[in-house]
Amino acid sequence: MPTDLNSAPRGGASIAVRDLHVAYGSTRVLHGVSIDFTPGSFTALLGSSGCGKTTLLRSLSGFVPVESGSIIVGGQDVAPLPPEKRGMAMVFQSYALWPHMSVLQNIGYGLKLRGVPKVQIAAKVAVLLSMLGLSGYEERKVTALSGGQRQRVALGRALAIDPGILLLDEPLSNLDAKIRMVMRHEIRAIQQRLGLTAVHVTHDREEAMTMADRLVIMQAGRIAQIGTPEQVYDRPATAFVANFMGAENILPLRVARSEAGASLSTGDATATVAAEPAQAYPGGVYRYRVEAAGRQITVDDADRHELGTTIGLRIPLQRLHIFPASEAGIAA
Amino acid sequence: MLSQRHLALILIAPGLILVAALFLYPLGFSLISAFTKDGSFTLEWFAKAFELYSTDIVFTVVIVVTSCALTALAAIVIAGTLTLGENRYIVGTLKALYRWPLFIPFIVAAQCMRTFLAKNGLMNNSFVSLGLMEPLQAVSYLDWRGIIATFVWKQTPFVALLLAGALASIDRATLEAGRNLGASRPRVLFELALPQVMPTLLVALVLSFVTMLSVLSVPMMVSGSQPTMLTVDMAFRINAYGDYATANALGVITYVISAGAAILYLKRGMSQEASR
Repeated sequence: MPTDLNSAPRGGASIAVRDLHVAYGSTRVLHGVSIDFTPGSFTALLGSSGCGKTTLLRSLSGFVPVESGSIIVGGQDVAPLPPEKRGMAMVFQSYALWPHMSVLQNIGYGLKLRGVPKVQIAAKVAVLLSMLGLSGYEERKVTALSGGQRQRVALGRALAIDPGILLLDEPLSNLDAKIRMVMRHEIRAIQQRLGLTAVHVTHDREEAMTMADRLVIMQAGRIAQIGTPEQVYDRPATAFVANFMGAENILPLRVARSEAGASLSTGDATATVAAEPAQAYPGGVYRYRVEAAGRQITVDDADRHELGTTIGLRIPLQRLHIFPASEAGIAA
Repeated sequence: MLSQRHLALILIAPGLILVAALFLYPLGFSLISAFTKDGSFTLEWFAKAFELYSTDIVFTVVIVVTSCALTALAAIVIAGTLTLGENRYIVGTLKALYRWPLFIPFIVAAQCMRTFLAKNGLMNNSFVSLGLMEPLQAVSYLDWRGIIATFVWKQTPFVALLLAGALASIDRATLEAGRNLGASRPRVLFELALPQVMPTLLVALVLSFVTMLSVLSVPMMVSGSQPTMLTVDMAFRINAYGDYATANALGVITYVISAGAAILYLKRGMSQEASR
């Protein structure tokens, strides 16, 4: 029985990842990732499929062997340790509850492993269940629960061992939209209350921005940008980050520097709301596909326009991000 | 014009006739033969079977149950290693080797065991030449132990194959969740993985149980002496005395034993359904 798990302090632990290299066979997935997670912080790892965000999380938890580099938790390098010796609790996308056990047995399993007496396990599970809004569910079969309830039980199971670090592997992806919204706030509130260090993997930008105090945008096995949601959204470091954060229109511009500042110019073009299907109503505003200078531009506007009409376009300055043409992938 | 129903019956008729002719008719015939004498009902053959072979009935049940238990253990170790093993070379080697006994007939396996387990067989000779044993201490294992060894060797790959398949299909995250919370790999196997594949393990064991009950070559070749298994007794009744009636009575007893295994399995399956 690893004693270091029992003595884990209530509240978060710090993680320092240094020059982490991970490969699956001959395919290198992480190319020297270095990042610090401060105690009590909520960090979201964000990126498109195959960017290495899940691999980073799984190497933290010990399910992916590390090729080189270190993962320092509380002054100790845990990179060579097996998963069961790391004391990090993980919540899985598929809930990963044990179907042959009741809710009580699922949540209490980590405590049973630590030799906690049955009475104490039952008491602790009751406290967790009331925190999760599932009081009295102890004897239910987990197969009889809804998706949201299952993920709550999975969260309770992770929290039962008083982990210093909570790893969340796309825990909300299998839930429907409404439950997902509720769970976002619940997870965030519990993390704040217990002061846990949380690392959350997601491909949902909005989820990352609403839950985390810090975003880590990953691209092809490297970190593209680290910052608060505001920093990353308002000042993306690269064209990739800007694109990932929702800047979907790319326009070629000419930048002329002068002493007074810089002026931007683009060629003359006529903007036309494209022929169908160019209009959609996602809610609140209309979304149009506009054609200008042979490019397709996505534009949101509160007014309804007829298809095929000529319109004027204006880019709000705070929504404009400028990158070198080579980076944005434009032949200027 | 033929109705759908008739057409369906005609389509399955060849199979049905085959089953009836090769299975139902002999089964019915042997049942009748076990319970009748000169056309009237009697339990004489059963009395005779119990009088002569009650030791062998117990012997058979003990051998088959023990073999099943050991087979389950070996299969769990193999399938568990294949699923949770982290050393690529051990897993790879095991994966390549463990299925081989499936392709070796019982009679060949029995012959191999004869040369391996005999008093001057390969196993004892190896021990002697390794200095682990004096030549005088060598004993033959060609008795009940030999039968069990052969059965376990032959049936383990079958059970391991089904078990490994079932283990591979459960959500791996359920196993990772266990390790994440601090469970060692053996605990993950026995407390988290196996309970999820219990139905498969039981099916494999019931099938193995029935197979072992019906094997003639192994007890015949490995252990020639008394006590022996019911299949050998049946062959003896028929070959030496032409006594089909007693042989059929022994056959019915075998049916009852294997039906017992099937009922145990079905009962467990039903109680699990009920608790869901």
